[in-house]
Amino acid sequence: MRSFWPIYKRELFAFFVTPLAWALIVVFLIVQGMHFFLLVDHFAHQADVTGDETPLSAFFGNTVVLYLVLFLLVPPMTMRSFAEERRSGTIATLMSAPVSSAAVVLAKYAAVLTTYVAMWLPTILYLVILGRTGPLDWRAAASAYLGVLLVGAGYLAVGICASALTRSQLLATIWTALVLLGLFILGLGEFVTREGTAMHEVCAHVSVWGHMNDFASGIVDTRRIVFYGAMILLPLFITTRAVEAWRWG
Amino acid sequence: MIRVSHLTKRYGGHVAVDDVSFEVGRGEVVGFLGPNGAGKTTTLRILAGVLGPTSGTAHIANRDVVEESFEARRSIGYMPEAVPLYPEMRVVEYLRFRAELKRVPRAARARQVDEAMQKAGVLDVAHKRIDHLSKGYRQRVGIADAIVAKPPIVVLDEPTAGLDPNQIRQARALIRELGREHTVVLSTHILSEVEACATRVLLIHRGKLVAQGATSDIRAMRQGAGIEISVRGDAGAVDKVLQSIPSVATVERLEAPGPATPPVTRPDANPMARPPARLRVVWAGALPAGDRGIETERVVAALASAGLGVREVHPASGSLEDVFAALTSDSPESALAEPNVTP
Repeated sequence: MRSFWPIYKRELFAFFVTPLAWALIVVFLIVQGMHFFLLVDHFAHQADVTGDETPLSAFFGNTVVLYLVLFLLVPPMTMRSFAEERRSGTIATLMSAPVSSAAVVLAKYAAVLTTYVAMWLPTILYLVILGRTGPLDWRAAASAYLGVLLVGAGYLAVGICASALTRSQLLATIWTALVLLGLFILGLGEFVTREGTAMHEVCAHVSVWGHMNDFASGIVDTRRIVFYGAMILLPLFITTRAVEAWRWG
Repeated sequence: MIRVSHLTKRYGGHVAVDDVSFEVGRGEVVGFLGPNGAGKTTTLRILAGVLGPTSGTAHIANRDVVEESFEARRSIGYMPEAVPLYPEMRVVEYLRFRAELKRVPRAARARQVDEAMQKAGVLDVAHKRIDHLSKGYRQRVGIADAIVAKPPIVVLDEPTAGLDPNQIRQARALIRELGREHTVVLSTHILSEVEACATRVLLIHRGKLVAQGATSDIRAMRQGAGIEISVRGDAGAVDKVLQSIPSVATVERLEAPGPATPPVTRPDANPMARPPARLRVVWAGALPAGDRGIETERVVAALASAGLGVREVHPASGSLEDVFAALTSDSPESALAEPNVTP
C-alpha cells in the first residue's frame, strides 16, 4: 500500500495538468450556479412557502439538474484511468514497479474522488449565502452532502471499472454513461409501477432520485449507505480482479 | 541472478514461450536474439513480473516472480518495448515519481534521479515535457527509469528500436556502460546489436531457446562463415571444382535470378566471354576457424588451375540467417519467415 501515495499524486497531477479537469469543473460550477440562482429566485418570488420544501432540499433533491451534470461529468473523469494506460502501454511500466493491484486501483479511484470533492467544495458558498438570509439546517446540509458524496463515489467506481474493462476511452465513457443512465431510469420506474409490486420495490430501492430526496431533507437511511457501499466496493473489486487478470492474459 | 526453468506461456492455443530454461549470472550482459514474434518480449515481461507464466518458474535475485512478485520486482528495472512514458510529465518529475514508486528512500531520491539522468544522458532535457522529446531521448528516459532505483538487474526490451544510426551507437555505449554495475538482459532481432553490447547470446526461435553461447563464438561463426568469390567461366566447371573440395559445404549464386541451382551450360556461348558470376561459398561446419585461410587458398588455386578466372575473393560475414543455420538444424528460410505475432 506504500505505492498508493505516489500513484495518487501522479493521477491528480495528470488530471489537473490537462485542460480536461478545469473544463469539467467550470462546466459543473456554471450549471450549479445557474441552478442555485434559479432556485433562490423562485423561492424569493413565492408568496407563501408551502410544505417543507426549502432551497436546500430543492438544490440537492427533486431536481434533474444534479443527475444531468453527474452523467455528463463522471464518465469523462474516469475514462482515462486505466484505458489510457493500457492503450499507451504505460500500464506495463507501472506494474513492473513493486506495486500491488489494489494500491493501483485505490490510488486511481481516490484521485478521481478527490477531484469530485474539489468540484463540490465551492458550492458550500451557496449555503453560506443562504445561511445569511435566514435560518439554515446545517445538519440537513451535511446529510445532503453525504448523499452527493455517496452517489458520486458510487458513480466514479462504476466509471473506473468501465475504464479497466476496455482499452478505448470512448467505450469506457459510453459504458459508464449507459450503466448510470440505466440505473437512473430503473429508479424512475418507482413512479410508473404500481405500489406493492416487487418491481416497484426494486425501482424504489435503486432510485437515485428518491435517495437524494431523502438525503436532501436530512434523512440518512442505512439502506442507502449499504446500497452505495456496495456500488463502490463491487466495481472496485471487479477492477482489482481485472488488473490481476491482465497479468495472466 | 536470473534463473528460468521450463518457462511456458500460452495465449489460448498459441504457445508464445515454450519450455525455456536459462541462467544469467551476476554482471553479465545477455542478449536475447531472435526474429520478431519469437517470444523475446513475452519472456522479458514474465521476468519483469508484468505477465504470469502458464507453467515453469523464473527467479530474479533468488525471488520467484510469481510467489514473491513484490520482492522480485524490487530487484529489477524494466524498460518495455517502445518505451511507454507519461507524455504530460516533465522528465525529472517522471523520474522522481518512478523513484518514489520503486521505494527509493526520500533522502536519496533527488540524488539517485540526478545520477540516473546523468548516466542516461538526459540532464539537458530534465525540465522538458516527455511528449516534446525525440525518440532517442525518450529511449534514454526509459533507461534512466530502469536504473533509477539501482536495481541489480536491468531488463531492456528492444532498446535501440526506432533510433537513427548515431543514436544506436550512443545507446549501445550506454548499455555497455550499464553492464559494469548491473546485470543486463536486452532483446533484439539485430545480430550486430548483441555483438556490440552483449557478452552472451540466447537465441530464441518460435518460443524455444535454440542455442546460447558467448558473443565471441557467435561472432567467429558469423565472420568466418564463408567467402565470396567473383569467378569468370563455365558455371558447370566452377561447380565441379568447388564440389571436389571437401571443406566446402554449399555454393550459392549471388545476383542469380530464379532458383539457386546453377544454370545449365549453353553450348552456343563462349564461356570465357561471359561476365563473372558472384558466388558465396559456405564452409562446412566442422572446419576449424584457423584452417579457413588455407582452404581459401586451396579454392582459388583449384579454380585457377581449372582455367577459370578468379577476379575477387573476400571473406563473407554471415547474417543472422547463417548463424541460425549453423546453430540449428532448422533451415534459415523457415526460421525467419515467421509472421510478426507479438502478443
